[in-house]
Order: sequence, then C-alpha cells, then structure tokens
Amino acid sequence: MRQLTFSPTSSLPYLPQKSRWGEVVKNRWAYLFISPFFILFAIFGLFPIVYSFFLSFHEWNGIRPMSFVGLENYTFLFGPGGKVFWQSVLNGVILFVMYVPIMTVLALVLAVILNSQKVRFFRVFRTLIFLPWVTSMIAAGFAFQLLLANDGGLFNTLLNSIGLASVPWLENVAAARASLCILIMWGWLGYNMVLMLTGLQTIPAELSEAARIDGANAIKTFFYITVPLMRPIILFSVTLSTIGSFGLFNEVMALTGGGPQRATLTPLIHIYNIAFTDFKFGRASAQAYVYFALILVLTLTQFRYFGRERED
Amino acid sequence: MLKNLKYVIVLFGLALLAFTGILNTGAQDATATPAPTLEPVTLSPEAQAFVDATEVIDESLSGTIEVWGWSAALRDTMDTSGVISAFKKAYPNVTVNVTLYNPSDVYTNLPLALTAGEGACDVCLVESSHLAQFVALGGLLDLTDRVQPYLDTMNAYRWSDTLYDGRYYAMPWDSGPVVMYYRRDVLEKAGLPTDPAEVDKLVSTWDGYIQMCQTIKEKTGLSCFALNKANNSGRLYEMMLWQQGLGYYNGETGEITADSPQNIATLEKLGQFWTDDLVSDNQEWTDPWYAEFASPDAPVATFVEASWMEVFLKSWIAPGTAGLWGVAHMPAYSDGQIRAANDGGSTFVIPSQTQNPDAAWAFVEFTLGRRESQLRMFEVSGFIPALETTYDDPVFQQTDPFFADQSTRTIYAEVVKEIPSATVYGPQYQMMNGAVSVAIQRYAAGEATAEQALQEAAEEIRANVG
Repeated sequence: MRQLTFSPTSSLPYLPQKSRWGEVVKNRWAYLFISPFFILFAIFGLFPIVYSFFLSFHEWNGIRPMSFVGLENYTFLFGPGGKVFWQSVLNGVILFVMYVPIMTVLALVLAVILNSQKVRFFRVFRTLIFLPWVTSMIAAGFAFQLLLANDGGLFNTLLNSIGLASVPWLENVAAARASLCILIMWGWLGYNMVLMLTGLQTIPAELSEAARIDGANAIKTFFYITVPLMRPIILFSVTLSTIGSFGLFNEVMALTGGGPQRATLTPLIHIYNIAFTDFKFGRASAQAYVYFALILVLTLTQFRYFGRERED
Repeated sequence: MLKNLKYVIVLFGLALLAFTGILNTGAQDATATPAPTLEPVTLSPEAQAFVDATEVIDESLSGTIEVWGWSAALRDTMDTSGVISAFKKAYPNVTVNVTLYNPSDVYTNLPLALTAGEGACDVCLVESSHLAQFVALGGLLDLTDRVQPYLDTMNAYRWSDTLYDGRYYAMPWDSGPVVMYYRRDVLEKAGLPTDPAEVDKLVSTWDGYIQMCQTIKEKTGLSCFALNKANNSGRLYEMMLWQQGLGYYNGETGEITADSPQNIATLEKLGQFWTDDLVSDNQEWTDPWYAEFASPDAPVATFVEASWMEVFLKSWIAPGTAGLWGVAHMPAYSDGQIRAANDGGSTFVIPSQTQNPDAAWAFVEFTLGRRESQLRMFEVSGFIPALETTYDDPVFQQTDPFFADQSTRTIYAEVVKEIPSATVYGPQYQMMNGAVSVAIQRYAAGEATAEQALQEAAEEIRANVG
C-alpha cells in the first residue's frame, strides 16, 4: 500500500526503499510538535496500564517487597472474597437501568425542543440545563446531601407540606440509589443534551421539511426521521453513560460514600478502596483488569446490537 | 552536527515546557487548599510559665523536623499548652514545622510518601485504630531501642498495635478510656438520681442501661442516645466487644472470630436499643448529631464514648450546656464484669526516610515521654496520657464546672487502668470494620438476623485475610 506523507508542502517524491523511520525523520517537525501528548500519555497512561497488569500477578502493599502469586488475585474474585466486587458490578447495572434510559430520552426530547428556534429564550434554557455539568460534583454532592437530609431537608419538607410521609433518601437501599440517580441526571443531563443537539444539527432540514409536506406531524417526524438519523449519536451517548455508570466515583463519594449497605458502591470505588485503604495493589489491579474486560464486552455488545445500520 | 544540536535543544525545551505544565497543574491542585500550618500564638500565662520552667536539654542536636497531625491535637493541645515552644527552648537548634492535616489526609499522604521514598513527615500523628495497618505496611523507623524506658510506664494494652515481628514502631500519646456521659437535667426530669455514684449503680450492666433508657423514654419522651441504623459505623459495638476482651480475630491463632457466639450475643444486646425504640437515628459527626448534644430542651440523655469526647463537647459541640453534664462508668457487659473499654487514642510514628531521626525522636520523647509535657497537655484538653506515671498528679483530682463540679478525670484514670487487651484494632482493622459495619446495618434494617449478618461478614473477612 502506498503511504501518504503527512506534510503537504513536502516536494520530495515518495521513495519506496525508504523505511518508516525515514518517514518519521522527514516529518520530524510534525512529530516533534505532537510528541508532548505521546510522552505524557506514555508516562501517565501507558505505563500504569502495563504496570498494573504486571502488578495483578503479584502481592504488593507499595512498600514491602513484591511477591509473585500467579493468578491468585484473579481466582480470588471467583471465590467468596469476590462477593463485594460482584455486588459493586451489580450496583453499576442497577444504576444503569435506573437512570440511563430516562436520561437519554429526556436529553433527546429536550434537545429536539430546544433545537427548534421557535422556543423563546432557547439559548437561556440550553445554558441553564448545561450549567450543572460545569459545577463541581463534590460541591453538588454535599448540596444534595443537605437537600435530601431526613429531617429538615428540602425534599422531605416539601413532601411533608403536601401531606406525604418523609422518604429516608440516603438511608434505605432503594432510596439511596434513586437519590444518586437524581444527582447524576441533574449533573449529566445537560452534557447529553448538548451531544444530541450536535447530532440534530447534522440532520438536513430538508428531510423534516419533506416529511411535513408528506403530511407527517411533529411526533411522526421525531420517530421516523429524527430518531433513526440520530442513532449513532444516541449510541455514543448511551455508551458513554454505560462506562460512566460503572465508573461513578465523585458523585458517590460526595453523596453516599458507597452506603448504605454498599448499595451504591461502584466498581471504581471498590477498586480504589482496595488499593488506597487496604494497600493491596495487586488485588486492586486484577480487579481493574476484570472490570475493564467487563466494560469492553458490554460496549462491544452495545455496538453489535444497537449500532448496526439498517440493512434496507 | 550543529543542526542536530538544535533539535536536541528544541526537544529538550519542549519536554521541559510540557513537564513544567504538569508540575504547575499539580502544584495548583495542591495549593488550591493548602494544609494550614501553625499560626504563632500568644501563650497563656500558664503555658508561658511552663515554657519558662523548661531547661535547655541539648544544644548540639540540630535539624528541621516536619510534623503532621490534626488541629485538635497539634494546635489546640500541643501548641496551645506551650509544649511545642518548650521543646524549641529545650532543643534550640531544632526547627519544628507543623502541618495540620485531617486524620484522613494523613492516611492518604503518609503511605504515598512512604511508597515514593520521600516527602513524608519526620513525625506523624496516627490514630490507634489505623496504626497497626501502617506498622504492617512498612517504611517506619524501628523505635525498639528508643521506647525501652517507656514499655513499663505506658498503658500496657497500647503496645500491641505498635509491634511488628517483635519490633516497636510507634509511641503512644493518649488513650481512649470509655465512660458514660449523661445530662443531669434529663435524668432529673425522668425522676432518676443524678449523682454520679448512683447513676453508676443504675447503669452497672447494659440491661440496667436499657432499663434506665426506658424510664427516660416513658417520663420525658427523649432518646437515650443516637444510634444510626443505615450508616452505623460499629463504634459502640466495638466498645462492647472491647470491654469483654473480644474483637474480630483471635490474637494468638489469627482465626477470625467476628461471628463467634459472644459477638452475636453482643450485637443482639445492642439491637435492643433499636427494638425498644430507645435511640435517635442521627449519624455520628453530622450536624443533627451535634445539635442533639447542644439542644437545651430536647437533648440526648446519655452518650457512651471515650474521654476525648469531653474536649469536643466543651469546645464546639455543646459549649452552652456547661454544668448540665455528668460522667459515670460505662455499663458492664454482665454483672461484675469490666466497666472499661477503649475507643481511639493516638500515637506518633517516625518514617524511616527521615533525615533527622534523632531530632524527630527528641520531639516524640519530649512531648509524649516526659511527665511534665503530658500533664501540661492533659490540663489543656483532657487527652488522657497513656503515660501512667502521670496519674498520681493532683491535676487528676481537679473538679470541672462543665460537669457540675464533678472530678471527671479521676474516673478516666480509673478506667484507663482497667482497659483489657482486645482484638478490635489490628493490621486489617479498616477492612474488618467495613464488613462488620455492613452486617450491623443489615441487622438494624431487619434484613438479616445478627447471626446471619455476622456470619456473612466473617466469611468476607476470612476470604480477604486468607
């Protein structure tokens, strides 16, 4: 295969006998200018990835000598000790089912509404909905803690004022998960809405115009034109949310700390605890790899089943 | 050749730029909320007198030591009392820098610095509950030879957590003798005696305590104390285990005992406070919990906690309730058994990477091993010294207006000598406490019996330890 040179200004003809390295030397300036990213990535991204794979076959507390334990850290997960890890994965699945569908639909609907320039102050609404994404989740988590407090929290005060009983928002397994979902949706809805808005702007206006001329109403246009054309963007948003719900960290740390009864403990927090509270870096690395494999399978499955273009 | 050199310089420059970029972001993060250091304070006349009475010990010792710990201990006790100033006078060529970290920040920063091999404190404050884990982690200076003179003069039970492979790695500061605090006004309203000796008899066992709580509930409608269900931390349960000399594992064989019949019975005993609806549901160390202590009209009636609670009650949780409190012994598990347990306590450790081990040890020994220093700090904040040679000092007889002129410190000193050895704390305390807390939460929520819940926790602990 012929290789294309990077530099459009290069006047040298392509020389097949030259090696790849020759190409690199020829485009040294381009490579030099993109090198900082790769250098940093190698140190702070690639090295830890490789090193934690190595660590996952060892027992190490960070200070005393490392000892090789083979696959023990992996088999541990499939014995009684892995219970908490699988519980955390299950928590991720439950949270995913609880908030991703609602958030995705809401984001799409809001995007469609705010994409129509007929809505007054649409820019203001866009900004307002996006604004939570800019705030620090830790700060928001503490604010939600106050809102959701059992006694004197705003949510329960409101419920009581209309004659309903208080909900133990953060003290009951189901309620704590629901509270976490509320916080996540509050924080991430705007981000997903912006994703959808970008997607909507790539849909040519003629298509919906044509549909309207053919007699389709707004709802039909939405289902037969917008949704099918938005498929890749929706998939992208859902994939991000999938990875996000297993990788929840700040939100959980600030709101529930993983409790009550580990109902909101996510895999990432569990792995963090094993590494930085129990100082078992080998075990934590092995769990990180298993976690990665799970996410990979999940994402590939999503692409396989939902990402296919329609045959016709 | 010259051309190549140019590239090297450009490359080097770029790399430098990139790295300073990273370092800057790192530095910005770190300085966004800088850990406070000690502000210079004007010493009280007592503190100044203490400093003046201190003589120069060693002028030849020099160096700078960095001390990490939390403000209640290092600022409000060690510095306010004049002990740090006295140290500077005794060792005029040693510079002391104190950085105030929350306990959790010490536990994040210390292991990272130990792993990195640099950047650690020279002297670090560590809670007893976390100590054994750090000792097992490694990277601390072996203090075996240096602590020899103190092995017999400190509370004996404190040394077990400082040991690893027969060597000592820490020096105890204060202990956490557990007592029962009570509100005299609430007991009076409930028609109960308020004199400490009589209250002592009333709560001679946990069953007696439960009865007393029932009376309070009937007569006043108030909660006896706060015992949260959903996020129970297991602290009170651990005190009940400690007084029986129990814990989560067998000290000799290492066998996990978190689901032993005694442990199950203890949890069921604790559960009676919930089944009889005698407690409020406020979570420890949260605003509603503080409010409950400070409330003039609807307070908690009692609270079982270690003596360091006194400092917090007086200084910021409930300063407005002075004169309303009393102190009694904690209940015995059953009649005639020990009425003493430990909760918390702290120690100093010295990382082995320190450049000034002698200066660091001089600081530790001067502040914690010296009778005068320990007594001076005790006077200021009531942290009960682990150093037993202090207990005969008249300061222990002092009465306290906050506790209606009761001499609370005689009780603390009595209790601390009776604390049995227990296996609650240990190298894997955090993991064990985590598993057992979840068990208590499940039991409290009625999702499992005490036996099921503790068996599950014990299984988890066994799997994690093995």
